[in-house]
Amino acid sequence: MAKSPKGATVRTYAVGFGDCFLLSFDYGGGLERHVLIDFGSTGFPAGVPQTRMMEIAQDIKQRTKGKLHAVVATHRHKDHISGFATSKGKGTGDVIASLKPDIVVQPWTEDPDLKPDATGPRSKKKQIARKLGRMGASTPKHIAALTHMHGIAQQMLTARNLPTAFKSELSFLGDTNLANRSAIDNLMTMGKKSSYVHCGSKSGLERVLPGVRVHVLGPPTVDQTDTIKKQRSSDPDQFWQFQAKSIGTDEAITGDEPALFPRAVKARGARIPINARWLRLHSRTMRGEQLLQIVRILDQQMNNTSVILVFQVGKKCLLFPGDAQIENWEYALGQDKYKTLLAGVDLYKVGHHGSRNATPKELWNRFKKRSKTKDPARLRSLMSTMAGKHGHVHSKTEVPRSTLVNALKGETDLLTTQTFGEALFKDTTF
Amino acid sequence: MPNPRKPSHSPPNARTLTAIAQDPSVRTGGKILVTELTIPAEELLPGPCGYRVNVIDYDSSTDTLYEPAVYKALKNGHIEDPFALSAKMKQSNKRPKSYDRKLVEDPRFHAQNVYAIAMRTLAQFEFALGRRVPWGSDGHQLHIAPHAFADANAFYSRDDRAIFFGYFTGASGKRVYTCLSHDVVAHETTHAILDGLRRRYLEPSTPDQAAFHEGFADIVALLSLFSLPDVVGALLDLKTGGSKLIAPKYLEREALQRSVLLGLAEEMGSEVSAVRGQALRRSAALTPGKDYMHMPEYQEEHARGELIVAAMMNAFLEIWLQRLAKIGPVARGMRDRSIVVEEGARVAGHLLTMSIRAIDYCPPTDIWFSDYLSALLTVDREVVPDQGQYNYRQALLKSFADYGIKQARDTDEDGTWRRCNADLRYSRNHFEAMSRDPEEVFRFIWENRRALNVREDTYIEVQSVRPSIRIGPDGFVLHETVAEYIQILTLWTGELKTVLKITPPKEIPGNRRIRIFGGGVLIFNEYGQLKYHIPDRLEKLERERQVERLRCLAESGFFEETAAPRQATGLQSHFANLHRARAMGSGGWHG
Repeated sequence: MAKSPKGATVRTYAVGFGDCFLLSFDYGGGLERHVLIDFGSTGFPAGVPQTRMMEIAQDIKQRTKGKLHAVVATHRHKDHISGFATSKGKGTGDVIASLKPDIVVQPWTEDPDLKPDATGPRSKKKQIARKLGRMGASTPKHIAALTHMHGIAQQMLTARNLPTAFKSELSFLGDTNLANRSAIDNLMTMGKKSSYVHCGSKSGLERVLPGVRVHVLGPPTVDQTDTIKKQRSSDPDQFWQFQAKSIGTDEAITGDEPALFPRAVKARGARIPINARWLRLHSRTMRGEQLLQIVRILDQQMNNTSVILVFQVGKKCLLFPGDAQIENWEYALGQDKYKTLLAGVDLYKVGHHGSRNATPKELWNRFKKRSKTKDPARLRSLMSTMAGKHGHVHSKTEVPRSTLVNALKGETDLLTTQTFGEALFKDTTF
Repeated sequence: MPNPRKPSHSPPNARTLTAIAQDPSVRTGGKILVTELTIPAEELLPGPCGYRVNVIDYDSSTDTLYEPAVYKALKNGHIEDPFALSAKMKQSNKRPKSYDRKLVEDPRFHAQNVYAIAMRTLAQFEFALGRRVPWGSDGHQLHIAPHAFADANAFYSRDDRAIFFGYFTGASGKRVYTCLSHDVVAHETTHAILDGLRRRYLEPSTPDQAAFHEGFADIVALLSLFSLPDVVGALLDLKTGGSKLIAPKYLEREALQRSVLLGLAEEMGSEVSAVRGQALRRSAALTPGKDYMHMPEYQEEHARGELIVAAMMNAFLEIWLQRLAKIGPVARGMRDRSIVVEEGARVAGHLLTMSIRAIDYCPPTDIWFSDYLSALLTVDREVVPDQGQYNYRQALLKSFADYGIKQARDTDEDGTWRRCNADLRYSRNHFEAMSRDPEEVFRFIWENRRALNVREDTYIEVQSVRPSIRIGPDGFVLHETVAEYIQILTLWTGELKTVLKITPPKEIPGNRRIRIFGGGVLIFNEYGQLKYHIPDRLEKLERERQVERLRCLAESGFFEETAAPRQATGLQSHFANLHRARAMGSGGWHG
């Protein structure tokens, strides 16, 4: 096999609102190495058959001729990992597991050794202590906070008594943030090796991809984040623990309890007297806003655990940032070596399906190969998205964000899954 | 006029209602510390619903309305307080076992608690300012929902004309009601009142302005707590064991800091700290004498707000100590507990009145902490022109300086606002109309625009004309008038240099439409003559501050196309977000 690839192809699958990319590196003589980056969806456009995810899994199997070399799961949101879920040997995740990936790459926040309740033999404990020394002592607390978020998302999904206007966004965001046990377990066990990465760490992909340099730009560790943050007056991780506790155990939010003071109920629902109706309307709206705000912040925090990878193949640079938002990017953007690396990016997988927060201006301005005119060296961009699922135009939070889409159209060769029509995938070749 | 019923004295003006002194976790002898709050008397509808506050106990998490508190009118014009402890119970400090449980479990008591604290806070403002004080919301009756939703949050929302108090399950598994915390209720009520007095303080501006709303609400909440002798006494007793005589070691500065400030912080229900922040704790813990105002960690609005609270709480201790020094000891340096308590509550009451009155002397837009300090000092100079027996001004100056807060720049040597000595024309104005009519005051400004340095190319609006009535140092009633006007200048970034001689901060991306706020407060004396003209931000001296404001706005992403301005988020409440951000320890999210 050649020492380095002659070229690479990125297959972008039409997963509706989600991400699924297959990178195939061509080592000549029919030899290829394949990396699957994410496989998840939270919804398809109308008319797409329910078997779509399986069709994609089968296509991956066919394209890789039954052997995957690596899987990257950028972060644990449903729209990135739902395809890894197994179902008694018949799920899409079973198909992927059957491709026997040599390595599975995930963010450090998925490392089972760093969980607050991590246990093991003494040698393991030493290893854990070393890891914690590297990552920051409060790492387990941060990971616990992420676990709490799933609980909160679950509560949001079951919240009752909400005005209809809030139901769809709350249930969309709540659903995305639910713990996906089956997919997570599968990701943990399907690879011969697991690699849990952070900014500046080795990706673990070097061995399976000879001649390809892979840089990990994110997520930053707790310690790395602390170096760029001003001193905090309180602890955000504690907030999630508190929030999970305070609303997570409160039956009132789920509506399982009839009322806070069952013996002092005056009226309920539409029977509430006239003088209280104005407040009822406003309180209900306010509560909806509050829950939505919590689940939005939670969603962003989960996005910020995304693995950010840059693949350097020959002179080409491919950037896959998952759903990383500014807080994740901030650390890498402050490092000179990455600034240079990012300037030369040839392919940009648009962060977070084109949301306004995931392509920081500072990142965009770094891309040197943006150009208003078409030329072969122009930056290419891949966007996997679906309009009408996430955010609102009036608050400038719609996904994909129109101003970003215009910039992508104007200054890059944009391939978006929204234009795929019937096609299952499209290939981009370098 | 003959009274058709029977000749009698006027109905009572004030009444008392039982409330929890701080929160259910502050106890004496294992019992919840309760107090009787003096509030304005009025005829109450079920709720209670009165002329300024309408308590509606609606819970949106369960879509339930709870029974309102209903009051029985007594013949003497008072109402029956269903939660009052009898005189005997008070004296013996014994009460039925079920009493404490009833306070925590009866929603009607919760309604009474929020009503009484909100009305007391409002009455404190009206007392200090000598006039009726509006809420920031439209209308006259503010809604209060004591159990608005299951969430560890409580906030005032201007658009919803309401204060919402959340409830949640604490770490111990017990339910925590934010409406039962005196400081939380007083804090939120203060937001609603300050918003009525200075509407522009919710506009995005420098960290000082964002921090001021929080800091001021904490100051009012804490001083109003310390003005309750029951609370001060209970805190002292924690250290002294309730002795009738207090040894000098308990009355030193550090000891009081530990017993009163930290003592209260520790007694307060710790689970509500996500709602209330850490201001009191830090007031005792921050070492004075550092330039906190310029430290990066105090640029964040919640931490910054704590500085002004720390300054005020330590000034409170200082003045209290000054007063105690003048009271002779009973024996062996011991002081009578009741006098110590009374003096403490009195100082807190005085400072509370000053803190509130100072708002009249604060600029209408873009407040800085230094403005507030100068306003406080000016209020004191007005009341006590010669330093008087207790040196409040010196204590305030020192205490604020300890936390890096200095007086405003354009002030007299003693830090007070300069008196206005401009040559003004009054002949085209009418004395009587000037004390109530915004049109008349506008005419005065327009006639005198050059003398007052008011730019002609701006939008000018007189926002309010209000009477301010107080007792002067000689015992006579002083009737002054406070008028607020704002100026708005809208221009492009590129025009800042030519029009205002401001070099645009480099953080502003490109040529943006920029609104510059200016304006001032005019204080007319009892003859209708202008006594103070409190700063006009568009003046030469204030340029540096405008640049600072623009830089802060630019840094927070205000001028970015992608950063949706607050208005675009519709019903989202400013305070809801602010309080959540405080609990999360972050200053907000990047655009």
